[in-house]
Amino acid sequence: MKSFVRDTVAITGKELKQLRRDPVSLILTIMFPILLIGIFIVIVSAFSATSHNVPVVVADLDGTPASNALIDELTRSRFIHVTQLVQTEDQAYQAVANGQVIGAIVIPQGFGVALASGNAFVIVSTDNSKLTSSAFVTAAVNQGAQDLVNQASLGEGVNFALKLAPIEVITRPLSGRPPTGDPILPGFLGMIAILGGFDDIVNAISRERERGTFPRLTLSPVSLFAVYSGKMFATVVLTILRTALVLVIFSLYGLVIRGNLILIFLTTILIAVFTLSLGLAMSTRIRGSATLTVLEIAMTFPLFTLAGTFNSPLLLAPGGRAIADSLPWTYGNDALRRLIYLGVGLNAVAGDLLILFISSLILMPIAIFLSKRTM
Amino acid sequence: MSVATFLSDSVAVAENEFRQFRRNRSAILISLVVLPLFFTISLGAGRGAAGTTFSPTADIPIGFVDNDNSLASLRLWQALTSSPDFHNLIQSYNEQATIAELGTKRIYAVIVVPKDFQNDLENGNQAKLILYTDDSEPGVSDQIQSTLTSYVQNFDPNVEVQPHLSQVQRQSVAGVGIVAKGAVFAGFNIGLTAVLAIVQIFAAFYEIAGGISREREDGTYARLLVSPIPTGSIVLGKTLFDILLCIIRTFTVLGISVYGYGARPSTDLFTLLALSLIVALVTMGIGFVAASLKLGQRAVVIIEFFLILFLFAFSGLIIDINLLVGITQVIGNLLPFTYAFDALKRTILLGRPLLSLTFDLEYLIGSILASYGIALVLLHVSRERLIT
Repeated sequence: MKSFVRDTVAITGKELKQLRRDPVSLILTIMFPILLIGIFIVIVSAFSATSHNVPVVVADLDGTPASNALIDELTRSRFIHVTQLVQTEDQAYQAVANGQVIGAIVIPQGFGVALASGNAFVIVSTDNSKLTSSAFVTAAVNQGAQDLVNQASLGEGVNFALKLAPIEVITRPLSGRPPTGDPILPGFLGMIAILGGFDDIVNAISRERERGTFPRLTLSPVSLFAVYSGKMFATVVLTILRTALVLVIFSLYGLVIRGNLILIFLTTILIAVFTLSLGLAMSTRIRGSATLTVLEIAMTFPLFTLAGTFNSPLLLAPGGRAIADSLPWTYGNDALRRLIYLGVGLNAVAGDLLILFISSLILMPIAIFLSKRTM
Repeated sequence: MSVATFLSDSVAVAENEFRQFRRNRSAILISLVVLPLFFTISLGAGRGAAGTTFSPTADIPIGFVDNDNSLASLRLWQALTSSPDFHNLIQSYNEQATIAELGTKRIYAVIVVPKDFQNDLENGNQAKLILYTDDSEPGVSDQIQSTLTSYVQNFDPNVEVQPHLSQVQRQSVAGVGIVAKGAVFAGFNIGLTAVLAIVQIFAAFYEIAGGISREREDGTYARLLVSPIPTGSIVLGKTLFDILLCIIRTFTVLGISVYGYGARPSTDLFTLLALSLIVALVTMGIGFVAASLKLGQRAVVIIEFFLILFLFAFSGLIIDINLLVGITQVIGNLLPFTYAFDALKRTILLGRPLLSLTFDLEYLIGSILASYGIALVLLHVSRERLIT
């Protein structure tokens, strides 16, 4: 037992020393987290901009105080920018078809009269190939109409026979945090642990094979189990460093981390160890480091959708949800979200951590068995 | 050198590429099977196929606490449970205990009907519903809120069976309807635009830059360079080889998207193929530039990973380019892939003829010429360095 621990520590030390001597790999270990979070910041800042200025044209075919009031609301919207008031419905649609604007809002004749009877409608034509912008145009018109209704109910501005919606939904988020893109961040930490784990396995096995040092290692008086344990501990050390770096970046970004830090580290370690186990099993069949890296990257991109990084797996189609439920990473990301965002304790994430642990426990002996067979 | 010799050299290089490719089982697997299948199937599974409509909120367990116990609250419960959007509504009587379940994954939201709900409705006041949500699940909170709001906007407590709401009524606020016009896309069309481009970028870059890098590490690239074949023929030969792989991949992605996920592109096969090849050619040009930098195979793969991540943020794949702010929009506007995604969306989704997208095409063809030109110069200049 003592010699096993000593061998494991020796292999861990060797792995870390090799990484220190390889500046490209060392930079990558640091670059993965920074780049991923940089991309998140670009996406979130685009969504949370104070104004979006999506260009639209408006055709007012009614010309009544009611339609003027709606146009006033639209021009005040933070989502859209009314670039032109056109005379006809066709001109409005043409502007969208030509790609001059993303949306056309047509206020039909009789809008004012219909508003009084509660049957008014507005036509919104959008270039739906611009997925986000077209949603913003609809949101702006909805908001404008809602503001008209609110003004009427308060007796302000123009007074139409408008009624408020019978029921208002008041949302109270469990975390008590303002609505931001922050719930995505823990998923990014999970992805960084996955990418790190994959990168480590390429360094630990494939590159060693290419350099010809792996057979020497297996011929040395060290058990194969100690070799793999050592490589796994090197991954644990690197995952701790990556997690610490990411948590510092999160804090600088303004995310308040509520959960127990030890549990967060434990979760990322389990994600990385499971990834490493899978990578070990894959590396027994795929020998080249570049081929293995391509395969691992090809596997990683779908995980952004399926393992709940950008969106909760609950919102996936049934087929996608079934795949998500069968991926241990989904449970890791889920645990990270609830730990970091809600600050829950061990009992709330124990099930998720157990799934990750058992999955690694099943995969690791398979990987060692396959490795022995293909040695 | 005559054009005929140049072309025959190019064909010889292409033949050599095919021979090597045929002998490399993992390259065939990655290039023609794993990449197209993996991306298309995973995105298709996530979004759902055409014809299979699903409500994202339907199966999410949501608690329902009725503190009013009135006829109005009972009708609200009936309206929600009979809707296609709330199949997993769990009635509960203890508000605090139900809210405490949030964050445990047993329920993801709690709808609380407060006391005086019916009184408010009867007196013409705006009644309130409190929605507690587990906001650690990205997107779930917003989805439940908007779906619930669309139901209660038009809720009438005097009616036993609430009328079925059309899509228009759901989008509308009380008093003002919104009639949405504009193309509505069938099934997997949006997914097809993204997958087609990403698969080509991923594969073409790996095949060109990674291929040259592998040859360099094997020592065969040096032999190719010292042979009397000009650099132009090597570049053209490798391009011809990759074009054929791109065509096969286009058909694979298209086949799975159309027959597996019900995509109905609004354009013809020629346009799809042409755009797919243009995307691949832009990537190949950049791949040749990367190859001239004497990168190792693994470095090529990692650059490729960063390139794709970069495109996710800056080229209009996730966020429309007009919504990016400051320098990010400038970067987005400079990237040729932005125009490739735009052209794919306009043809596949809106059915625009390819030749009407003049600016997109000009920019893309310009980018291909520029990247190939730069690559040729760099490969020529660094000839000696690449041999050693």
